[in-house]
Amino acid sequence: MLRRHFLKYGSVFAAVTTASLPSLLTAKTTDLSDAASDGDADFDLEIVDVDVELIDGSVVPMYAFAPVGQPPSIPGPILRVKQGDVVRIDLRNSSTRSHGFQILGQSMSAVTGLAPHDDDGEDKVRIEFVAGLPGTYFYIDGDNAPINRVLGLHGALIVEPSNGYADGKTRKKPMPYAPTVAPACLKDLFKALGEKTINGLPARFPGKAWEPGREYVWIFNQIDPVLCRRIAAGDNLSASEFLEEFHPRYFTINGLCGLDSAHDKATCPTGHVGEPALLRTMNAGLATHSPHIHGNHVFVLTQSDAYGAPVYQDNLFEHDVWLMPPMMIKDVLLPFTMPPDLPPAPWKMAQEKYPLRYPMHCHNEISQTSAGGSYPMGLVTDWHIDGPLATG
Amino acid sequence: MTTLYRPISDPLEFDTFGCHPFENDPATPDRTTRQVFLRRQVSDWNVNMKDGSQLQFWGFKDPDISGSDSPWPSKTIRVKQGQIFHCEFKPSKGAHTIHWHGIEPTPMNDGVGHTSFEVKSSYTYQWCAHQAGTYLYHCHKNTVLHFEMGMYGVLIIDPTTTSPDRNNPQYLYDPFDPASTTEAPGITVGAPYAAESILVFDDVDPRWHKLDHNAGMCGDDVGLDKFNPTYFLINGVHNGKTQTDTRTVTKATAGRNVLVRLANASYSKLYVTLEIDAWIVEVDGRPLRSNSAKGAFGRPKLLPKGTRLEVAVAQRYALWIPKIPRGDYRITGSFHHWVTNRKHFDGEAVARITAA
Ligand SMILES: [Cu+2]
Ligand SMILES: [Cu+2]
Repeated sequence: MLRRHFLKYGSVFAAVTTASLPSLLTAKTTDLSDAASDGDADFDLEIVDVDVELIDGSVVPMYAFAPVGQPPSIPGPILRVKQGDVVRIDLRNSSTRSHGFQILGQSMSAVTGLAPHDDDGEDKVRIEFVAGLPGTYFYIDGDNAPINRVLGLHGALIVEPSNGYADGKTRKKPMPYAPTVAPACLKDLFKALGEKTINGLPARFPGKAWEPGREYVWIFNQIDPVLCRRIAAGDNLSASEFLEEFHPRYFTINGLCGLDSAHDKATCPTGHVGEPALLRTMNAGLATHSPHIHGNHVFVLTQSDAYGAPVYQDNLFEHDVWLMPPMMIKDVLLPFTMPPDLPPAPWKMAQEKYPLRYPMHCHNEISQTSAGGSYPMGLVTDWHIDGPLATG
Repeated sequence: MTTLYRPISDPLEFDTFGCHPFENDPATPDRTTRQVFLRRQVSDWNVNMKDGSQLQFWGFKDPDISGSDSPWPSKTIRVKQGQIFHCEFKPSKGAHTIHWHGIEPTPMNDGVGHTSFEVKSSYTYQWCAHQAGTYLYHCHKNTVLHFEMGMYGVLIIDPTTTSPDRNNPQYLYDPFDPASTTEAPGITVGAPYAAESILVFDDVDPRWHKLDHNAGMCGDDVGLDKFNPTYFLINGVHNGKTQTDTRTVTKATAGRNVLVRLANASYSKLYVTLEIDAWIVEVDGRPLRSNSAKGAFGRPKLLPKGTRLEVAVAQRYALWIPKIPRGDYRITGSFHHWVTNRKHFDGEAVARITAA
């Protein structure tokens, strides 16, 4: 009983006092105008050992998060909350190893050294916090870093704004961020989405405004099957040994490769011209990725800081390749315009038909392989423009 | 223990996505009257490496220019914004494609096998660039190998207007109509320049240059997960010679503006440092400026001298140096491993700008 008591309370610690919080983070998470919310968000998560079947049929042992009573997945389930919600995450360790849990850049509490449970279902730990600055965050098992995270224990926590409109009281231009702290250019972009004309001039983004929920999460990771097997066989690699020997052979987006990710509805963005989509891109692995999108450029809206908290960009770079070093999180906007480099009217696209299919792939092409070959069965997906701008 | 199975897929689709991509020679759909026409074919040749060894390279040659059979990088293409562009591509030695990297045409003209087709013997690509800036073109067949084998070149879209400043006659991009726009502070609109330095950084792993066209595509392990570069180059010039070769040394007149276009064609993390202050004025073919109707929400950003700029693989940056003072300025590219971030042995290449 004593051990369980220790697990419940002793290993959950509000690790850092307010005084030692980086001032930037404090400033950003105490935006009072958006902080009021009566909402609760409760999650019940479990850590389990899994076998993962890869694109070539081979199987590697990894770890995974699962909502209690539901199948596990890598990455773990998306945890979606509203700014100001009281978030409670109960965690149970059903793996054979000890594990931890933390949300980077959001809650300062961390669970470490949570031992495997002893089957009576009682030994859960809880993390509780008030959801702060809207944006995209990593939750991970930070123990044994980076081993447990890279071996599958990572997922996205999404904080939605409680009053996310770029156009103030008019409330016709939703945005996924807190307008009170969002730089003007970020609001200007969301205000421009769906406008046919601006200041009497034809505008670039006719169609719809961005709609809440019109978004995709892309989590990148890399798998070294040799290290996965060694760890499962009981090899207690240190973090530095793992980093030294890490040699990825599979490169995943949302846990999938190649054809599988291109076919995955949650991964492959689809829509008509004029239906802008948010892409929350995250790199859980150790390699630096260079995601490259065809068909449209993207606007980089946020970039995570050293603590994992989003920094709203006050200078919007439009990229066809964006830099994703390890643990980087960038929200980018895919505007879903007609591909811009077509001949001008009166030319019409008549012989070529919708849907227009384009790839998004990492341009460090080593990541386009699996097990040393099989291009392009790596970090790639597609996106589709299903039809023209809806008129009328 | 639970097993996470991969989704069920159609074996035929699996095969055409990877192992046997669709090859074809279609007529260009919705073909229209062109304003620019050029041709590209595929060639292979041996390159003398720094240590005296020879390695095989592949590239795009221009059959209309004699002596262009061993171009690495492939010859730079420059066309003007708004021109309807046709490129007749006739590959040989198997199927290839041309992807116009950063240009966004229809899928048939995008050069990607699994979303359209690979060119068997002939196809005419069609597009019309709407925005001046810095782009690339490269083969997108078994790209992991063909890009490393040298099948890439720089593509520059020039604006239609020239600068009224006679000392700096070339614009990077057309200024918007001044009556209707807000351009960003920090630079002269259009980034007019007199001298231009185009620098494409690359690294070479000699083992890969012994592989063949379709290596690994049907599931064999040919070691494409292992990339150990031992040669580091700019514009195909070995790092020992980049400070003296005319391809990597730019001569400028002091007091005039210089434009530096950077691209990373390596498989490394690339850090670039300049010995002079420069303004980032364009990224990936998009000028940094601000205009809601035009859908631009950026502004130029100062890159102070000595500051490291990390250029992602296949990313491009244009840097603008106003009124360059007399002097000699190094541009240093540092190549680091994409997983460990450790600097590769000999992983540095230095270009120069000389302003007199
Ligand atoms: Cu090729
Ligand atoms: Cu490319």
